Amino acid sequence: MGNKTIVTGVIGADVHAVGNRIIEYAFTQAGFNVVNIGVLASQEEFIQAAIETGAVAILVSSLYGHGEIDCRGLREKCQEAGIGDIILYAGGNLVVGKQEWEPVKEKFLKMGFNRVYPPGTSPEEAIADLKRDLNIED
Amino acid sequence: MDLVNKKWSVDKLMSIRKEVLATWHTGKDVEDIEEGIKYQKALPKSKIFALKLLEAKEKGITLVQPRAGVALVNEHIALLQYLQNEGGADLLPSTIDSYTRQNRYEEAQKGIEESIKSGRSLLNGFPAVNHGLENCRRVVENVNVPVQVRHGTPDARLLAEITLAAGFTDYEGGGISYNIPYAKNVSLEKTIYDWQYVDRLIGFYYENGVIINREPFGPLTGTLVPPCISHAVAIVEAILAAEQGVHYLTLGYGQCGNLIQDVAALQTLQELSEEYLQKFGYENRHITTVFHQWMGGFPQDEAKAFGVISWGAATATLGKATKVIVKTPHEAMGIPTKEANAQGLKATKQLVNMLKDQTIPSSKELEEEKEIIKKETRAILDAILKIGEGDFAKGIVRGFEAGIIDIPFAPSRYNAGKILPARDNNGAIRLLDAGDLPFDKEILDYHKKKIQQRGDAEGREPSFQMVIDDIYAIGKGMLVGRPN
Repeated sequence: MGNKTIVTGVIGADVHAVGNRIIEYAFTQAGFNVVNIGVLASQEEFIQAAIETGAVAILVSSLYGHGEIDCRGLREKCQEAGIGDIILYAGGNLVVGKQEWEPVKEKFLKMGFNRVYPPGTSPEEAIADLKRDLNIED
Repeated sequence: MDLVNKKWSVDKLMSIRKEVLATWHTGKDVEDIEEGIKYQKALPKSKIFALKLLEAKEKGITLVQPRAGVALVNEHIALLQYLQNEGGADLLPSTIDSYTRQNRYEEAQKGIEESIKSGRSLLNGFPAVNHGLENCRRVVENVNVPVQVRHGTPDARLLAEITLAAGFTDYEGGGISYNIPYAKNVSLEKTIYDWQYVDRLIGFYYENGVIINREPFGPLTGTLVPPCISHAVAIVEAILAAEQGVHYLTLGYGQCGNLIQDVAALQTLQELSEEYLQKFGYENRHITTVFHQWMGGFPQDEAKAFGVISWGAATATLGKATKVIVKTPHEAMGIPTKEANAQGLKATKQLVNMLKDQTIPSSKELEEEKEIIKKETRAILDAILKIGEGDFAKGIVRGFEAGIIDIPFAPSRYNAGKILPARDNNGAIRLLDAGDLPFDKEILDYHKKKIQQRGDAEGREPSFQMVIDDIYAIGKGMLVGRPN
C-alpha cells in the first residue's frame, strides 16, 4: 500500500461547498488521506498543499463555469514547483453553459489533466479510477 | 470596529463612500449621488420593483423572475429582452459574475476581453462594476420591467453604488446571507458592517424620495436548510436593514420539497417578520416574499428537470409567494442558454396561472408545521438577542460563534457547521443533529422522532449517509434518498 494522500478543493472564485464535503467524505471512507483546502482555492494553494503533504494527486472541482479560465496553466505551475508528474483530475460544471462533453474533455486533457469528469459523476467513479492510476488494490 | 445595530449618520456614509468609490476606476462616475437620485426619480413607475411586488401581493398573484447574466453589455441586454418577451418574465435580474462577487475586477476584465475574443461568454454573470454607470443604465433603459441586482457579494458596496445610480430598483443580499454561504475567510463583523453601508445608502435614497427594494438571500446554501434557519437569518437581516432606513423588503425561502412544510414556511416567514419588525419599532415597513425553486442538485434529463421546476412553481403559487425565482432545464449543467431559461419561465407561468385561484386549506398538519417553525425560529431569534445583550448585530456575530445559529454545508469558517439536516419519512427537512441550536427538549424530541420514523421505515440507523443520499436524491429522480 503506497502513499494515499490527495489534495482536493474548489478552484478560483467558486464557493460551492457541498460536493467538496462529499468528496472529502467519500475519499476518506475509501481509505485516502484527504487534504481538503476547501472553496476559493488558488492554483498556488493546491500546489503548496500538495508539496507540504507529499500528495500523489490533486483533485480540482469547479462548479460555477469559470473552470476553463481558472485551470489553465496548473500543470505548468506544477512542473515549475517540481511536482510535474503529480496526477491531476478535474470535475464539475467546468465551462459556462451546456456544451458538448467531448470537446470540453479534450480541452482539459490538453491542459494537462489526467482525467476529467462531467457534471453528475459520482465520487465512486473517481475513486475507482484513482485506485487504478495509483495501482492500489482493494 | 464597534459593530452595533444603530442607524449610521449621513456624514459617516459619505466619508466611507469616498474610499468605496476609489476601489475601481468606474466608481468616479457615481461621485455625484444627487445625479443618481435624480435618475432614479425619473424612472417610470413600471420599473419600480417594490411597487410591482406590492401590487402583486394585493392581488394575491405570484410573479415570475429568472436568473440571468452574461459578460458583455449588448448580449446581456439581448438576453434580458428575450426573457421578457419570449419567456414572459414579470421581473428581470442582472446576475453578477463570480469574479466581481469577490471584488476581483482585474479577473472580470480578463473575462470580458476573452469573451469578446471568443464570441461567447466566459463569465457566469454580468460584471456590472467593470461596465460602469452608463452601460448599466443601458440595461435598465432597454427593458420594460423592473430590474434587480442578484449576486453573492460579501462586500457589495461599490456594486450597489453603481447599479443603484444606474436605475436598478432592487438589491439582493445581506451581511449574513452573502457571507456564510459565499465566503471562506471574511468575518461577519466586516460583512455586516459593509452591508450596513449598503442599507444606509438605500435608506438615503429613500429619504430623497427613491424606493429601492431589498432582498436578503433566503436559500443560503440551498442544501437541506431547515426553515427555522433561513427564517432567523432573513428576519435578522430585515431588522438590520430596517434600522438603516430600508422600508421595502422581500424575504426569501428556498423550496424544501414537502408541500406542507413549504407552504407553512412561506406563511410563517410573512407572519414572523411582520411580528418582529413591529416588536422592535420599525413602522411602515412593507414585506413581500420570494420562493426559490429547488436550489440543490437537479436531474440532468431536461424533462425530469421540468418536473422539479413545475413542483416549485406549484408550491410557490399555493404558498402565495409574491414572486418565484425560476430554475431552468439546464440547471444540472450550469449556466443555461436563453432558450432554456425562457422554457423554465414558461413552465412556471403555466403553473402559476393554473393555480392562482386555488388555496391550500388549513389543516391539522399545516398548523402543526407552522407551530413548530415558529417555535424554532423564535427560539433562535430570542437566543441571538440575548447573547447580543439586546443588539441584533452583536447577537448574530456571537450567535454564529456559539453555534446557536448554524447553516448546513456553508463554506465559511465563521459558521459552526455542526448541524446535520435530513428528510423525514414524508420528505420534510428535520435535524439529524441539532448541533448547538437553542432548542428545548420538546423540539429536539420532535426531530428525533421524525428522523427515527424514517430510519425505521428504511431499516437503517440515521447517519451521515442518509444526508448524502438526500443531497443526491432529487438529481436521481426522488425526494427522499432511500437506500436501494
